[in-house]
Amino acid sequence: MTTQPTRVMLVDDHTLVRRGVRLILEQEPDLEVVAEAGDGAEALALLRDPEVGPVDLVVLDIAMPRMTGLQAAREIARRQDPPRMLMLSMHDNEQYFFESLKAGASGYVLKSVADEDLVAACRAAMRGEAFVYPGAMSALVRDYLDRIRRGERVPGSVLTAREDEVLKLIAEGSSSKEIARALTISLKTVERHRANILAKLGMRDRTQLTRYAIRAGLIEP
Amino acid sequence: MRVAELPLYWKVCLINGAVFAAGTLVLALAPLSVSEQVLASEAAVLAVGLTLMVATNAALLRRSLAPVDRVARQMQQTGLVDSGTRLEPPSSEPGDRLVAAFNQMLDRVEAERSTSNAKALAAQEAERHRIAQELHDEVGQTLTVVLLGLKQLESRAPDELVPDLVAAKETARDALDEVRRVARRLRPGVLEDLGLHSALAALATDFSAAGRAQLTRTFGRGLPPLSNEAELVVYRVAQEALTNVARHAEAHHVDLSLTRLGDRVVLEVTDDGRGCAHLEPGSGVLGMRERAVLVGGELSISSRPGQGTRVRLAVPCEPGLPDVPDVPDVPDAGGSRR
Ligand SMILES: Nc1ncnc2c1ncn2[C@@H]1O[C@H](COP(=O)(O)OP(=O)(O)OP(=O)(O)O)[C@@H](O)[C@H]1O
Ligand SMILES: [Mg+2]
Repeated sequence: MTTQPTRVMLVDDHTLVRRGVRLILEQEPDLEVVAEAGDGAEALALLRDPEVGPVDLVVLDIAMPRMTGLQAAREIARRQDPPRMLMLSMHDNEQYFFESLKAGASGYVLKSVADEDLVAACRAAMRGEAFVYPGAMSALVRDYLDRIRRGERVPGSVLTAREDEVLKLIAEGSSSKEIARALTISLKTVERHRANILAKLGMRDRTQLTRYAIRAGLIEP
Repeated sequence: MRVAELPLYWKVCLINGAVFAAGTLVLALAPLSVSEQVLASEAAVLAVGLTLMVATNAALLRRSLAPVDRVARQMQQTGLVDSGTRLEPPSSEPGDRLVAAFNQMLDRVEAERSTSNAKALAAQEAERHRIAQELHDEVGQTLTVVLLGLKQLESRAPDELVPDLVAAKETARDALDEVRRVARRLRPGVLEDLGLHSALAALATDFSAAGRAQLTRTFGRGLPPLSNEAELVVYRVAQEALTNVARHAEAHHVDLSLTRLGDRVVLEVTDDGRGCAHLEPGSGVLGMRERAVLVGGELSISSRPGQGTRVRLAVPCEPGLPDVPDVPDVPDAGGSRR
């Protein structure tokens, strides 16, 4: 099977950040940066431009002058057959994450771990999965555990003993790296556990996640 | 104009005049004469007359002026610390007007003070806003560039350099985290970008994450819009109240609620902690009160030992006090374009 590389557009008002992100992504054979925009309006224009060609994935900075990343994401999501979207942000705050999902993005990457997470997030987005950044993951998991403690019935299938261990560590706010060290397993294995946990709790993609967060009262509908 | 309402000066003149007139009248009508060589008997009569006049004058003046002295003493004892206290007007006239004037002045001073406090708070928020923005947009972006650059170098560098590059990268990451934390403390970016609900939800999540107590939140649907200043005040009050719960209450459970009550929006933070008999306001509680005044809101704190504490803030929906300097313009992500 010959797979075309994913065609990526970068949107960030900071040229040097864009350059840094481009260099990271272009180290990967399955990712190709085909366009760059300095703000939301330019991104929308480029998406319409036939010379740019099809774009599979848009990586958007949240804080941009004129049109913020979230506004741009809403506009892009309104297009017919919209590309997948990832938000890139300084804010370690799950409210931005959920707002991004509502705006139509599949994931949210913190700039301070962009070097580690961005490539994985791009691939998850292209697989149709949500990329849940660690802070939001632990907020979700904590809420989930609280419900169990209060004796509420929660959706989801039974976790394995290992997944349970990982779940508890996530709730305590440990990063993937710390979890790998604590359980002496590889980072890849931790990532797989995370994905499995999300799937089993019914939070696999952005639609499921958003629905869960609204039901749990973590965000306003 | 009634005699009682005459200015003090004219009253004194009138009293003196009346006493002198009476003395003169007595002197003119009484069968008295004073010899060229004043006799002892005549001197005695004169002395008695004079004493009588002085005494009458003193008694009359005393009635008029004593209340003034009493009010002056009261004024000295009135501090500005306990705002809202006013002098009781005495029954007699000159003191009465003095008290009224003094109370009016207190009103003015307090109004001035609360406006200047409001201005200082607004200026402080604006300054924080600017610093946070600069941290985010300048320092944050630059550190991101450094982080990504180091990551990029790592994959191309000879093996012996990799550990050093990784260490440098981790330092850049820590610095970026630190900048983000500082910026977040300075300014609730989520409030401007996503609105009050999200901002309070984020506070609640932070509180739960610290694991000090269980938190339940109740946010009413369809709350009327508040002015930006009022939202910021609600946010800051909730923030301080939750900080106090974490620091002092030893609570198991906290309720955070935002509901509508008539034309007001009411924030309540209720804990089931140890409470306290006499709540000695520190800068936290004073700050909450001052901020509430800023938007025409009302803050009340009730606390009883062993029964927990409740902080309640009610703010009017219509934009409160005008003329509070606005924080610099920031693009909002709240979808207001729709
Ligand atoms: N939720 C609470 N439960 C019990 N006691 C409280 C609570 N909130 C406040 N207090 C009491 O009221 C006092 C004043 O609170 P305030 O917030 O003004 O000052 P602080 O928290 O001590 O310091 P800071 O100025 O840094 O906030 C506290 O020292 C504490 O004793
Ligand atoms: Mg305090």
